[in-house]
Amino acid sequence: MLKKTTVNQLSDLASALMEKGTLVAPVREDAGFQFREITDAKRVDLNFHNTVISPKSVFFPQTEDFVRYRTGRPMQEAEPVEPQGKPLILFGVRPCDVKSFEIMDIHFSGTGDVDPYWQARREAAAIIGYAFDLGAPAEPEEFYQTLGIGAADPEGSDIFMVRRGDDLLLKSITGKGEALLTGMGGLAGASADDEKFFDDTVAAGRDFKTRFTCVDAEVITKKLEDLFHNTDFWEKASNACLSCGVCTFACPTCYCFDICDETLFQQGTRRRVWDACMFTDFTLEASGHNPRTKVYQRLRQKINHKYSYHVRKYGVISCVGCGRCTRYCPVNIDIFSIVEEAMKA
Amino acid sequence: MPVEIVKITDEVDTHDIKSFRFKFLNAEDESRFQYLPGQFAELSIYGKGESPIGIASSPTEPGYVEFTVQRAGAIVPGLVTAALHDMEEGGKIGLRGPLGHPWPIEFLEKKNIVVVGGGFAFTTLRSLVTYMLHGDNRPRFGDITVIYGARTPGLLCYKDELAAWEKRSDIKTIITVDKGNETWKGREGFVPAVCKDVAPSPENAVAVICGPPVMIKFTLPVFFDLGFSKENILTSLEMRMKCGIGKCGRCNVGYKYVCSDGPVFSLAELEELPRDF
Repeated sequence: MLKKTTVNQLSDLASALMEKGTLVAPVREDAGFQFREITDAKRVDLNFHNTVISPKSVFFPQTEDFVRYRTGRPMQEAEPVEPQGKPLILFGVRPCDVKSFEIMDIHFSGTGDVDPYWQARREAAAIIGYAFDLGAPAEPEEFYQTLGIGAADPEGSDIFMVRRGDDLLLKSITGKGEALLTGMGGLAGASADDEKFFDDTVAAGRDFKTRFTCVDAEVITKKLEDLFHNTDFWEKASNACLSCGVCTFACPTCYCFDICDETLFQQGTRRRVWDACMFTDFTLEASGHNPRTKVYQRLRQKINHKYSYHVRKYGVISCVGCGRCTRYCPVNIDIFSIVEEAMKA
Repeated sequence: MPVEIVKITDEVDTHDIKSFRFKFLNAEDESRFQYLPGQFAELSIYGKGESPIGIASSPTEPGYVEFTVQRAGAIVPGLVTAALHDMEEGGKIGLRGPLGHPWPIEFLEKKNIVVVGGGFAFTTLRSLVTYMLHGDNRPRFGDITVIYGARTPGLLCYKDELAAWEKRSDIKTIITVDKGNETWKGREGFVPAVCKDVAPSPENAVAVICGPPVMIKFTLPVFFDLGFSKENILTSLEMRMKCGIGKCGRCNVGYKYVCSDGPVFSLAELEELPRDF
């Protein structure tokens, strides 16, 4: 089903979506665009290229309480925080970020123990994807084409949006998307010409140029295994790294977390918080032993995790080429160049 | 699972390693906590955190579960282990587990087992030996040899049990210390040298080795020289852990997570992984 509205009526669209559930959409902030829970429909803003932080926090918040308790009280009085998925619409997600959810699903709910918090939120959410503007060049850090992701791929979205001049075309991709679209007022029907434009955009998105190098999952896995002990390679790559971890926080597919207890005035919480393999104490053991004391070991871990270990464990590269790690790196470490160099090795 | 400390054993003369015996406060939790030697669990103290610790008791010892815990803090402050060490009998904590893969019992059956341990890393080996020595299980295994060493006599864990094993005829127990004292009448020497001296036969045998990295480093070549294959040498890895179920991304060695893919690995499996531990 294809429907349409206009960009001038965006706040009406947002209002209609807010009736269906919690709306999370891009808003303009001082530091750039971010996905935020919308309370004022007028704040939704699609004049963005991509958000600073990826939308993973919608399903995997930066801090997540597991148990709340009072210190000094019997532990049976502790109250577990049950996983809750409230109906949520995640609006305006770029195709590379949509792809990241599929990669995270394999880890959190597709294999081994299921993460009930992730799963509950994922199941209760509908994703409305949004094609990149094919008329403008890609940002210099982006390389999703390298990973086989088109600039207008609708896969993974429940509804996919394409902008046509001042019109916004909305197409349902899944049954969930169809149900959502059917139940919404204020949308106009689309013409056969709109249908063609939508399909053409999806097709053109596959040829959309970003930084590109030929990367095959199995080949890069093997190359990185062979490069593991090439300390020169990794020292060169990590020379400037400050171990600040911004690459992991901005990343849509980084999922490492810490579990910690925090207590204040007898109120205690056991929660998980995002963590980063770039931090020195990430692998520091109680004995004092630390297998990754050096910066190059940690950067090697990060690249290997995404391009080698993840492939060996789950069959897919854990990177979508959104370029955030490079864009926000204070010393311009470029994961794409490292991968490119590794492929040449 | 809430548990209560029913017994605390001060294992060593430095008083920083204690065994904590827990009973389950809810009877049904005990039947849910089905484990085998080699597995671990997270000990939980609200306000401090969780700490992954190998299970030292054996499933053949019903009614309780026991963990031998070192008070961390010499280098890294250990919140959970310190709080636990400060507790007394009757104290209550939480238990989450069992976690990880056990020693491969079926693989070990009908084989001669050589158990090699160093210092405080003997805990899950103690579980394994106790399991194998249980009357119902003993016929399932061939000869059992235990080689266990510590730096000093005072640092040997489970002293009473070691003495009992030495008296049994269905297990060969060799205890050694790096350096004895005036009352020590046993063997002196490093574990690798003792292994060489004892020279267990590789015939239908599996070596299960746990200890500090330096001990493992020098013990492995001894077993290679004796003719043990990499498939028949097992060990248990340590990495910093949080979730214990393969989700938090912390304890990987290459593409394996120590918590959910291990902690037990054969040497053949470890050779496939990068040296990142």
